[in-house]
Amino acid sequence: MKLPTLRQGRRFWWDTLEAYVYLLPTLAVLGLFTFYPFVNAFIYSVYDIRTRTVAGSVVHATTDSTTWATTLARGRIPEELADALLKRGVARDDLWVRLRQADRWVIKDEASAQEYIIVREGEEIRVHLATTGWAMESVGWDNFARVFRDPDFAKALLNTTIYVAVSVPTTLLLALLLATLLNQAVRGKALFRLASFLPYITPIVAITMVWAWIYDRNYGLLNYFLGTVAGWFGAEFNLINWLNDPRWTKPALIIMSVWRFMGYQALILLAGMQGIDREYYEAARVDGAGPLAVWRKITVPMVTPQMFFLLIISLIGSFKIFEEVLILLQGPGPQKSALTVVYYVFTKAFDSGHYGLASAASVILFAVIFALSLFQLTVVQKRVHYER
Amino acid sequence: MQRYRVRADAYLLRRGAGLLVVYALLLVVAVIMAMPLLWMLSTSLKDLVQALRVPTPANWIPNPAFWDNFPTAWNAAPFAIYFWNSFFLAVTTTVGDVITSIPAAYVLAKMKFLGRGFLLGLLLGTLMIPGQMLLVPSFILINRLGWYNTYWALIIPWTAGVFGIFLLRQFFKTIPDELWDSARIDGCHRLRYIFQIAVPLVRPGIATVALFKFVGSWNAFLWVIIMTDKVGLRTVPVGLRFFMMDIGTDYPRLMAAATMAIVPVLILFVFAQRQFIQGIARTGIK
Repeated sequence: MKLPTLRQGRRFWWDTLEAYVYLLPTLAVLGLFTFYPFVNAFIYSVYDIRTRTVAGSVVHATTDSTTWATTLARGRIPEELADALLKRGVARDDLWVRLRQADRWVIKDEASAQEYIIVREGEEIRVHLATTGWAMESVGWDNFARVFRDPDFAKALLNTTIYVAVSVPTTLLLALLLATLLNQAVRGKALFRLASFLPYITPIVAITMVWAWIYDRNYGLLNYFLGTVAGWFGAEFNLINWLNDPRWTKPALIIMSVWRFMGYQALILLAGMQGIDREYYEAARVDGAGPLAVWRKITVPMVTPQMFFLLIISLIGSFKIFEEVLILLQGPGPQKSALTVVYYVFTKAFDSGHYGLASAASVILFAVIFALSLFQLTVVQKRVHYER
Repeated sequence: MQRYRVRADAYLLRRGAGLLVVYALLLVVAVIMAMPLLWMLSTSLKDLVQALRVPTPANWIPNPAFWDNFPTAWNAAPFAIYFWNSFFLAVTTTVGDVITSIPAAYVLAKMKFLGRGFLLGLLLGTLMIPGQMLLVPSFILINRLGWYNTYWALIIPWTAGVFGIFLLRQFFKTIPDELWDSARIDGCHRLRYIFQIAVPLVRPGIATVALFKFVGSWNAFLWVIIMTDKVGLRTVPVGLRFFMMDIGTDYPRLMAAATMAIVPVLILFVFAQRQFIQGIARTGIK
């Protein structure tokens, strides 16, 4: 950058100092909770990471080791320990002995999920707070090799790609048509706004629960609706087992996603359409262009910046699909037909404890998203019409 | 030159028949959009027998309305705790986010300093990072900080956000520089100027940021199930999931619980529709 002249210089450097003071809170939080984990995601991907429970600070010590050892060996909580923990706000009834070894016991407080490690060393017994320790061991590219060999990951990547490849363009196309319709309407926009905005802001867990009910095979709304429509045409309709038939789980996710984002995207496109200068339409009318030509040659090109924006954010957003799967299917779906990449990462890390492996998988996810975004920014954006 | 106040958009299909088709189509779409939520409401007011009837149009209206699902759902799980947690977290993270975003946005909008362009690029770049990629490293970080199963883990990481900074930055840009010049001559400190003079001028922007943050926080799910496993720290969405695992397919009660989770967002939306729309309109503009 161009540095300021000497005379302006002093003010500039003071401003720089002041600016960073004001930016400090933001940079501190983002630095610690976004940038640092981001770098770590790459680092962790070449490590084997496992948790183990380690003894933390001492909360109680005693020399009455014989009584304690016999009581604990029988799976009971020693009186003295119960009293000591009661002072820390732990109810006696919530405590149980989770692990019994020769000179080491682990007790757990069910209410807080806190564990305590009791260690005997000769005559002395110490009660430690249990904390999580992390064991890291460098394994090079092993994690990546294992992820790529894992048929589940291939399936997850394929499922996610299908979901994105269908839902993103479908949503955008429908949103474009919807915005065009809305652009014609003079009245009723406020009501429509409410209808299209609600799916977008309601808690995803709650709304997915509603869809689970809609997709119910025997009593669900959707099958009833499809059956009714089929009836009008005299066609036969076999009830679709949306959530238990591997062929239908992905369509179920896609329909729900289109429903959630179509209105929101239409509103953004509508805002773009209403910003189009009326003179373009006047000129087209003078030239005798038909409505369809006007739409194709003016309306659509003029909202390409909005479409491009929506394409990027919905691509990134769709690749991250997880909650929908967890709530709608209560798992990866029949025959893992709805196993997605984030679901894979989630189960590998938080169910099986393979944190390094999960990091490798999420780095791959990032690489895919990054490559797609880069492709869009370089290739697709050339086709976007920006008005000067 | 005289400007006609005719809608540019009314050009394509202005005649009656065309417009009628447009409205008919829009009506169909609006009904489809609203249907799941109406269906939720309808089911929540039925008993199990009513809910399993064929959903003919006549059966949409619960007859008689069965209100018991709400109290039984509320009492079947510690929803009071869930609601309190969601509310508490939404308020604290919103306040935190707004307070950190205001000076950051102002600085990036109005001051010239070393590294400004770089910082803007960096912040914009964070929008490209999929949050799910950070789950594992964040989980390890939170554990190392000793924050697992604490409110800290649910609050502090969310007290800064790029969305708010960029939105507020656009608002601050519209304030003329002369205002700050004259304030400075009067001996006003910059921090005081930002919070006492500039902030009231961008109040709509702040309302928008706060709303989106509040709703986002209210809906928080994945982060909460990873960073905590205590009943006492569950938010409404997390509580809903456990409720669903508990009671299975008792749909009337599930729908009652879902309705309770959605109502606060709904109320907020109705009262602050303008701010939501503003947020949307702004995001679409490059």
